[in-house]
Amino acid sequence: MSASAVISALFRKELRSFLGNPTGYVFLTLFIVASAAAAFLTDSFFSRNLADLATLNRWMPAILMFFVPAITMGLWADERSTGTDELLLTLPVRDGEVVLGKFLGALGVYTVGLLFSLVNVVVLAYLGDPDAGLMFATYLGYWLMGALFVAVGMVGSMFTANTTVAFILGALGCASLVFAGTAPWASAIVGVVLLGALGALKWAVYFGRAASIGALLSAAIGLLLWLGGARLGLGTWFSDFFGSVGAPSHFASFGDGVLRLGDIAFFVGGTAVALYLCTILISRRHW
Amino acid sequence: MTKQDLSSRSVTIRAENLSKIYGDFAALHSVSFSVRQGTVAAFLGPNGAGKSTTMKILTGYLAATSGRAEVLGLDPGDPEQRIALARRLGYLPENGPLYADMTPRETLEFVAQIRGLGSSTPAAIRRVTEQCAIGEVMSKPVAKLSKGYRQRVGMAQALLHDPEVLIFDEPTSGLDPLQIREVRQLIRELGRSKTILLSTHILQEVEAVASEVIVVGEGRLAFAGTIDELRANSTVEQRFYELMDKKKKEAA
Repeated sequence: MSASAVISALFRKELRSFLGNPTGYVFLTLFIVASAAAAFLTDSFFSRNLADLATLNRWMPAILMFFVPAITMGLWADERSTGTDELLLTLPVRDGEVVLGKFLGALGVYTVGLLFSLVNVVVLAYLGDPDAGLMFATYLGYWLMGALFVAVGMVGSMFTANTTVAFILGALGCASLVFAGTAPWASAIVGVVLLGALGALKWAVYFGRAASIGALLSAAIGLLLWLGGARLGLGTWFSDFFGSVGAPSHFASFGDGVLRLGDIAFFVGGTAVALYLCTILISRRHW
Repeated sequence: MTKQDLSSRSVTIRAENLSKIYGDFAALHSVSFSVRQGTVAAFLGPNGAGKSTTMKILTGYLAATSGRAEVLGLDPGDPEQRIALARRLGYLPENGPLYADMTPRETLEFVAQIRGLGSSTPAAIRRVTEQCAIGEVMSKPVAKLSKGYRQRVGMAQALLHDPEVLIFDEPTSGLDPLQIREVRQLIRELGRSKTILLSTHILQEVEAVASEVIVVGEGRLAFAGTIDELRANSTVEQRFYELMDKKKKEAA
């Protein structure tokens, strides 16, 4: 038995589970329709008269904010509600292998959706002459941003046995990444929420219970840093810092056809951090 | 099986002062017992007595708050030893949870792949299909199977790698009388070559399949020994109620 066998078994199981289900195809169809509508059914696409996906680039983070949690909501919530997590986690598998297998399965579903959305490029090619390099960079950006959202959605699914709640938590997590950086107040609110979530996790790891106390304390510290910092003349560093976790700003370079190492590192690193959080959350059964 | 026969065998499952505390609630309170190699031990107790919690700790799904568990000389609380143990252990969790959208064949293939059975997978699936009598439902989605069949598919996945130790959490729960008889017969057959710990709250089941008994009540150990020792000039039923009354008074 090897790690790759475990990861491969889980990858195939998740892919089959989503694509073998009519609901999965409904979500995929909605994603393709929404991306095509965002790309072409806007005035700016025709007024700009350029064969690119700039209009879709603006909307993609918001579309993924809803589409990706629909993929990830059942990853853990279903396991917990049916009790299959006990079956799975008592097989000879490591927590990290389970997280990676499930992540790759969900990423596989997203990749299938993204491949279908390549029809947008076909339409562009019919209407004009899109640049192949620009299309490659744009789609790489979509894929990396989607990978980060899948990992964040998985974290949301870890907290509950209810798929609807898992969807809402996943969408809220992704919304944080979408709205951070759009305005100073939005970035600051995202910062307060993220600090609260980290506080809850830290508190639960150390004390095994009462995560809400950790969440409230950390969120209060976040508020003090935000509001107090501005009044004490420390500037807007708090909102600036959390503004830098905004996915759209890191995606922008891909949309321009540029592959910036820092932006690639942001998406890959963010995905790794979220997957690490998932591994910690799986191990909470031992707390 | 006499007590002398049992004492000559090595210990396969050992629990030493196991406790599990959730907030202010103690699900298990310093429970100690051992199960010797090649015996069928029944873990007897009413609902909520701590049977499932103990089994979750022994299989490494949960960690004990304090105390020590050991199965086949391995510590299920240690991440690496848990993996080594899982390779030699078959576990049927309570209510036999399975993936509803998979067929029994897909379920067994999935478990076989995770267990790395490789080229021996078809033979292993044929063996457990026959052992658990699930041949006629192998291609039906688990969601459409009766409780009895689902329980048997759960047992089949636990037997797939021919483990040395089996832990079954209420294996006859939800089965009809005929299915119960078949499952008990299967457990007796498996007990000839394997160590089995099964939980139940059905008193007749203990006498039907087990040679050793561990009785728990209110999260505390009430008795550990052979069936004959439990009876002690009385009936299993009578002794069980006496033990439960005693534990209730202790807990109060």
